[in-house]
Amino acid sequence: MDNINVLIVEDNPNESEPLVALLKTHGYTIAGVATNLKDALNIFYNSNTIDIVILDVFLNQVPDGIAFAETINAVPNASKPFVFLTSATDRTIFERAKLTQPFSYLLKPFNELELLYAIEMALERFYAQKNVFLSEDQDTVISDAYLYIKKGKGLKKVFLEDIIYIEVEEKYCNIITKKEKFVILISLTKILNLLDANMFSRTHRNFVVNMQKIEEIIPADNLIILSDNHQVTLSETYKGIIKKVRTLK
Amino acid sequence: MRPTFIIALLFFCFIIENNLFAQQKKEPILFEKEIKMSSDPFVGETNFYKTRSFFLQKEWDSTLVYSAKQLNQSVKNSTLKDYCYFFRAYSFNKKEVFKEAQKEYSKISSDFEFYSHVNIYLGEIAIELKEFQNAIDYFKIIEKSNDHKLISKVKVNIEHNLGICYLHLKQYDKSEAYLLKSIEAPEVKKDTLKLARFYGDMGVLYYEQYNDELAISYFQKAYQLSKSTKDYKVKQNMALNMAVVEENRKKFSESLRYRKEYEKWKDSLNNQSKIWEVARIEKEFAIKQKQKEVSLLKSENKAKVAERNGFLYTAIALLLLLLTTIYFYREKVKSTRIITTQKEDLDALNATKDQILSILSHDLRSSIIALKYSNRLLSDELAPNNLDNVNSLLDQNSTMVNSLYNLLDNLLQWALSQTKNSYFEITSLPLLSITEQVVYNYLPLMKEKNIIFTNNVLKSDMIQADQESFKIVLRNLIDNAIKFSDQDGTITLYTQNTHDMYCDLVIQDTGAGMTEETRLELLKDSVLLAKKEHEDKIGTGLGVQLCKTMIKKNQGMFAIESTLGKGTKMIVSLPKALTNG
Repeated sequence: MDNINVLIVEDNPNESEPLVALLKTHGYTIAGVATNLKDALNIFYNSNTIDIVILDVFLNQVPDGIAFAETINAVPNASKPFVFLTSATDRTIFERAKLTQPFSYLLKPFNELELLYAIEMALERFYAQKNVFLSEDQDTVISDAYLYIKKGKGLKKVFLEDIIYIEVEEKYCNIITKKEKFVILISLTKILNLLDANMFSRTHRNFVVNMQKIEEIIPADNLIILSDNHQVTLSETYKGIIKKVRTLK
Repeated sequence: MRPTFIIALLFFCFIIENNLFAQQKKEPILFEKEIKMSSDPFVGETNFYKTRSFFLQKEWDSTLVYSAKQLNQSVKNSTLKDYCYFFRAYSFNKKEVFKEAQKEYSKISSDFEFYSHVNIYLGEIAIELKEFQNAIDYFKIIEKSNDHKLISKVKVNIEHNLGICYLHLKQYDKSEAYLLKSIEAPEVKKDTLKLARFYGDMGVLYYEQYNDELAISYFQKAYQLSKSTKDYKVKQNMALNMAVVEENRKKFSESLRYRKEYEKWKDSLNNQSKIWEVARIEKEFAIKQKQKEVSLLKSENKAKVAERNGFLYTAIALLLLLLTTIYFYREKVKSTRIITTQKEDLDALNATKDQILSILSHDLRSSIIALKYSNRLLSDELAPNNLDNVNSLLDQNSTMVNSLYNLLDNLLQWALSQTKNSYFEITSLPLLSITEQVVYNYLPLMKEKNIIFTNNVLKSDMIQADQESFKIVLRNLIDNAIKFSDQDGTITLYTQNTHDMYCDLVIQDTGAGMTEETRLELLKDSVLLAKKEHEDKIGTGLGVQLCKTMIKKNQGMFAIESTLGKGTKMIVSLPKALTNG
């Protein structure tokens, strides 16, 4: 599992320093702290690993924070979740900020729970998967590249391409990567809906396999050999995946 | 010398006829009345009504015009037609267009009420046209008719006219008989004028027959009678007759005397005409004068009317002014009343504000004083490096600063809620997470008081509310719970799902509790707790007021259950989130 990369856009060091500290203690990586719109856009576009942006509405007394959100929202595929930081629920500012959907905010002064909650909300709203992190039966939001998993109070992420296969166990899913093996809370139907069908295929009632990790299929034994010597069962129902696998001719 | 005589005779006859018409002047007054009465059923026709009224006013031209109009309307009622023809004929007759008159008379049907009159007029017209035989025919018809009333009236005239006609036809026997007959009545009535004329005519009759003796005696009789009349024309004619007779008898001096007399009467007649002319002018002048007076009076009247109208308008204007004044006065009274009540409200509000301000400043002041005191203690303790005490003092200070902050925050939120300038959006909220977030700030405070806190809110509890205003409510209620809890107390958060639509969040403490009176006071609208029974505990009530306002704004309900000395339950009911219920 990897840390979440956070970009902070805040002109006041007195505000950004405690924020950075707080995020670090909860296992977030700070991708950068920008103090103006230009720097913020530079960092945002030069680093493709940023997962979330926390931005002050006012940068040097002008609402450049909103301008930043509007700018990154202009290119849909390049956009990322963001949280507005503001000190007052001023109606006019909020009305403008609200236009930068999906909209989530954090009101100063905030405590760590509020900060973590705001980040979670931003992710849920951005990927349109509501009531995940606070629910009893799910703890993972799935984007097109990552799994965002709630780990303790904070969040972690897993690169989808790193997953070898997923084993379903009732309400849980075992995620097996090259390095590690862990459990997430999500139903099979949901995860199948959210994952790219070209990348992940079901091979058995309990197995979902990353197609790129398939080394060998042994239909006679109903077996699929995956990278790092992982093996999963291939049931009759799902034998159709053989056609999807790139084969040497 | 006969030709001269004949001219005079003809002239004379003409005069007689004219006089005969003049003679009838009195009769038409009666006749007019009769016509008016019997034609009344037709006055509905505008043109006929006009025709009749012009006829009665002797406006002959207008009568002709309107009767023509009436006839053009294709009249179906024959009686109405007859009236029209009659009016037209009579008018033509008066205008001496005899031929037309004759034509119109002949159109009248024989069952017309005044048909006998028609015959009389036709006879007279025939005389005018010298159609004596026709005239005789017409008169004979009347003589033979059964209209006795009419005959009795006009008998003398008819007999005389018949006599004249026969005279012109040189049937002297008949003429003599009729003339003698016609003389009878005037002789009885001693109608001098008529008698003079008739005697004159008798004279003419005998003179025509060369019975000069008898003729002269009649002429002289007529002449004598004429002297006592006032009719110049009769006098003139009689004198002329005598002159002609005397001239024919070769008594020229007599003749000359009569001629002179004739001239005299002729002059008199002229003079009379002149006098009439003068009289007419005078009359006109008088009329003009009258007209002037009338116009003067008219203008005076006009002025009076104008004056009266002026008064009227002024009165109306004054009335309107009065009404407007009353209206505005009433409006003013009304607005004054409104202003007064508003003023009272405002005064009350202002008083409340002053109260809040004084309580707030008192609170702030005492807190700051405590801080100052505590800071001095800190520096005192720091000098000998007594760090244990420093730590506890710092804790105390942070508590004080915290409560100060809460007070200020409430104040800010209250001001914002008053100006309605705050962002407000109702979304579905996870109740557990939000309560945890809010309680997080109070954990140190609870720890300090050694309060056991339990949050039993379920993960699945979702409510509909505006996040920030709901947090304010929570902050205040938890703050209160801590404030009124004793050392080692318990504070519990839990939900009651007793209602389908609402989720009840209960904040329960085991603190001081409150009296029923205080409870009701707290639930009242915008009443602030002014009494500070316990200097350090009872607050301004601002927090609870703010809570009530915010809960109301979130379409929720607020309730308090409390037992004095045992604890308090603050219950906030908010709509459940529809999804994921």
